[in-house]
Amino acid sequence: MEDKIFEILKNVFELESVDNKCSQENCEKWDSMGQLNLVVELEDAFDISLEPEEIGQMRCYNDIVKILSEKGIQ
Amino acid sequence: MFVFRNNTVERFFPKDYTFSGYDDISFVPTDVDGYVWFYQLPVKYDQEVLCSEIRGYAQKLSFVLAQVDAVKPFIVLTMDEGAYSVPFTSGTELMAAVAEYNNALVEAAGSHSNVKLLDIREFTMQYPAEEVFDWKFWFISQMGMNPKVTKPFMAWWSRKLDEIALKRKKCLVLDLDNTLWGGVLGEDGIEGIKLGGDYPGKAFHYWQEALLELSKTGVILTVCSKNNEADVLEVWEKNPFMVLKKDNFATWRINWVDKATNIKELAEELNIGLDSFVFVDDNPTERELIKQMLPMVEVPEFPAQPYELPVFFKELVEKYFRVYSVTNEDKKKTEQYKANAQRARAQRSFVDFDSFLESLDIQIAIEAANEFNIPRIAQMTQKTNQFNLTTKRYTDADVRQFVEQGWKIWCISVADKFGDNGITGCVMVNGEELEVDTFLLSCRILGKGIEVAFIKRILLELRNQGITEVKAKYVPTAKNAQVKDFYEKCGFACLTEETDGKKTYALDLENADLSIKEYYHIKMK
Repeated sequence: MEDKIFEILKNVFELESVDNKCSQENCEKWDSMGQLNLVVELEDAFDISLEPEEIGQMRCYNDIVKILSEKGIQ
Repeated sequence: MFVFRNNTVERFFPKDYTFSGYDDISFVPTDVDGYVWFYQLPVKYDQEVLCSEIRGYAQKLSFVLAQVDAVKPFIVLTMDEGAYSVPFTSGTELMAAVAEYNNALVEAAGSHSNVKLLDIREFTMQYPAEEVFDWKFWFISQMGMNPKVTKPFMAWWSRKLDEIALKRKKCLVLDLDNTLWGGVLGEDGIEGIKLGGDYPGKAFHYWQEALLELSKTGVILTVCSKNNEADVLEVWEKNPFMVLKKDNFATWRINWVDKATNIKELAEELNIGLDSFVFVDDNPTERELIKQMLPMVEVPEFPAQPYELPVFFKELVEKYFRVYSVTNEDKKKTEQYKANAQRARAQRSFVDFDSFLESLDIQIAIEAANEFNIPRIAQMTQKTNQFNLTTKRYTDADVRQFVEQGWKIWCISVADKFGDNGITGCVMVNGEELEVDTFLLSCRILGKGIEVAFIKRILLELRNQGITEVKAKYVPTAKNAQVKDFYEKCGFACLTEETDGKKTYALDLENADLSIKEYYHIKMK
């Protein structure tokens, strides 16, 4: 799951490299439009549907891992 | 390209496109290579309000069209009345309003040579309604189209742009055997070729009917075939199923000379450039020859099976013979429509931006910070990026503390005839220094001059309290460039400007122009 998330973060936010510190604070393209793009890519890649509450809590890499884990993704 | 839009559509367009505010026509950039008009079916329950909003979009379009450079491409997308469907509201009245709006787009395309019309329904009808619209993404991001269809939409969009850019071809060069009919005339004879009757003759008959219609739009049909001319003239005359006869072809080359030489001759005879030719032949060797010898001639692949001819024809027309100029019949329809529209327009037209704003019936309520609105004020400081002069992030507790320290804090609610936007902005003036610590507005309400009316009303309030001078700051961020000259526009004097773009200001309240246009109906609570 981690590698897949890194890949998505890199593509969506056009990053050269990415690590587990990636967050809305340190990532320029992670604004509301970026959040939307991220959600669509995550939903597609993991074949899940994210709830608005979950989307609202998703502010950094660790949040994504936590939310996806709660959905049973390994 | 710059996109005028009423919903979130950024995802659907290439990264170098720029976008208007939501339903915001106040700013028409001039340094772009073209424009897109993409207004989607608004989401509201009251059918009357909904219909009047849709009709208003058409007025806004004509207002924008009057301002843009008439040589720059301006692509308008139709509105899909079936974008979403809900009980009570998606009725005939709504369909009529959308049809009227779409007609206005047709009219705009007819009267402006730079305006090209694209029908969004051509894209959306490929999907069931629930796949093109997703309520979750509507509510969280104001998406009028499901973000999941981004990839196919972008492919469609880029194909459409190519079609628009492509010059319409003028002449179609057709082979005969196994192209206009099944079989080989020289071997099967006049009655033996497959045309009409059962499949595959049926498919070739339908294909000839299609080509006949194409020729009626002004495309020149010619023939280039390796055959005996006399045989062909006979089949044109005698085969009862032949739709395309001698008179339907402007000229022909029916001989045993190589086709490149023949097509060059056709070009000279018709006095048309080779780059206006499309060559259709079932024989891959002939196609290859033309591609090699005459690279300016378009040579589409030919379908392997006759039942694929209708799809091939559609591609052929879309790729090479698309008619963007409005036809006579369309013009007639447009004339009728124009008469209706003019009547309607006489009742509700605006000639300039002021009268447009006046027609909106803008109601502004300004309210001092209180227990009910403090959470919303704090939330706005957290979330607002673009129209935010200092981008300071505060919590509820921070704001409460400021109030106790004597800061002057107000928030603004805005409504117009199309609906109520609720609390969408705030201003904070700190206690001792009398400096505007925070001034921000949600991008939802921009484009109506509300920001200026708001700050002036606040400044007036401060003046009424006996204050003579107010300070302010602009702190640049990656996202707030649009407000870098905001205070200058409001009459503030810029005191300092640092290399990183930070600016400080002061305004002499006693001599400031604090007049506000009377069509902003402002209430101080």
